[in-house]
Amino acid sequence: MGPLSPRRASGADRPSDHAKVVHPVSGRWESLALLLAVLAVIASVAGYITLRPQKAGPPTPLSWQVRSFDGLGQVDQAIHSALLPAGEEIIWFNNDTGGWITLERAQKILLPPFYRDAFWKTNGEVQWQLILPGTHQPHAASGDEHANAPVTPPDQTANKVSQATQGQGATVYYGSAGRAPGQSAYLLVIGHAHAGVMWANQATIWIHRNPNAPYPGIVKPESLVGDGWRQVIPYDGASEVERVKGTQP
Amino acid sequence: MTVSTKHRVLWRRCIALLLLIPAIAFAGTPPSSGKKLKIGVTLHPYYSFVANIVGDRAEVVALIPAEANPHNYQPQPDDITRAMNIDVLVVNGIGHDEWAFQIIKAAGRGANLPIIQANASVALIPIGGGQDGAKVVNPHTFVSTTAAIQQVFEITRRLGELDPDNAAAYRQNALAYAARIRELRAGFMTRFAALDLSSFRCATTHAGYDYMMQEFGLFVSAVIEPRHGVAPTARQLANTIDAIKKANVRVLFAEKNFSLDLAKPIEAATGVKVFSLSHITGNTYSPDEFEVAMRENLETLAEAVEFTQQ
Repeated sequence: MGPLSPRRASGADRPSDHAKVVHPVSGRWESLALLLAVLAVIASVAGYITLRPQKAGPPTPLSWQVRSFDGLGQVDQAIHSALLPAGEEIIWFNNDTGGWITLERAQKILLPPFYRDAFWKTNGEVQWQLILPGTHQPHAASGDEHANAPVTPPDQTANKVSQATQGQGATVYYGSAGRAPGQSAYLLVIGHAHAGVMWANQATIWIHRNPNAPYPGIVKPESLVGDGWRQVIPYDGASEVERVKGTQP
Repeated sequence: MTVSTKHRVLWRRCIALLLLIPAIAFAGTPPSSGKKLKIGVTLHPYYSFVANIVGDRAEVVALIPAEANPHNYQPQPDDITRAMNIDVLVVNGIGHDEWAFQIIKAAGRGANLPIIQANASVALIPIGGGQDGAKVVNPHTFVSTTAAIQQVFEITRRLGELDPDNAAAYRQNALAYAARIRELRAGFMTRFAALDLSSFRCATTHAGYDYMMQEFGLFVSAVIEPRHGVAPTARQLANTIDAIKKANVRVLFAEKNFSLDLAKPIEAATGVKVFSLSHITGNTYSPDEFEVAMRENLETLAEAVEFTQQ
């Protein structure tokens, strides 16, 4: 058997001589059906993307708020983390006894961030004061006897402030003069149920960029915002669960 | 009826009345709800928390065996049986016990079992020490004292809603437990107060200790695991070793109950001293396990800081 050689094309092999168009029996419906199917898929995907249930993201802070998770420095974050359970315990104490945990008692029960231990020392040695409902002056009878704790003397406007805030009902733990770099001033504002304030029975935490920011006198949100205080929004476990799994029943 | 018969009947009635008195007395003092709450828990610390909150007023049921590693746990049939018989379940909810939701779903309790998210009101912080600059939530809120107390309070509040008759007792127990945890912390704070913490730099194999470090003003410079429970690649390990050298880290915290395979090459490459901290996962559940483990952790932390002062 000899080697194969390329066959030369003859005139009978040219396709143009025998070309015959074969039309589909369905009259081109396949192409149309395919096109419609593709459009349907595209529309379905677009519809799902547009209408799918959205997972909640982390709470977005307003201009006068700051998130604890990524908006605070490490020292502020540590103090905020300590203020949350302290606020809860203070509220329970008030519910049970009608009184407030004084700074002296906070030393006895080792309650951070008020308790003067290594945590207090490494987080700026913040000077705390207790301001009782209606007075809106540092609590003179709190029994806080630490020699190096400066107590803000009542200023000339104190009486006016006190009168203006009568019935405001908030108890405030005010922390200032922290020495850690980048540290803030702090307010733990606890609404008092009997006074009917809008945030009654819960604690809110505020910070001021100036660690020596004076006590604001009026602790209503609009006044605090006007004085440069920002409310701390905790990024808590409930928010994280909502972010990961969507709104829980 | 004769006189003797009358006396006999009277005598029998007296005896019957005497027998009824204790029955009536006991009938008057049952638990107000009639039965103790059965509270399921997923992790060791939550067993301790709940046991200390409820005392003998409720029953604590561990959902999985004590020796199981929660990081890679596969649900077992017995877990489903336990899930069918609890009244409420306490979970970490943010990264350690996802398997619990598979178990309660398999037990048919997905729709009707109250869940207490222990971390619901805890201010979460990011994992320290790199992670490519991304802020990733650290779920180890239970390796701490302050965040632990916050969880104890949250669990107490929710249990009080579910079992209002015992709410006051739960709260008193919770406050006493919180005081004990704070006392434990205070003992070590006194020891730390004498140390210079400003130059302390550490690395950890597992990103489990940021909450505990935060309480002492300490921060983590590098974490070996790129993600929770994930071993690093050779490149990631090399980068971490570089970061440890650059940050002048002298201490590496490994996980007490996990393998030290990751710690040893880093120790050899950088000269860091390895200390072991507990993730609070032991072989038995007990009310005092959290306090025992945290005492050991704080002791180890103090030793590590003291080592860096030499």
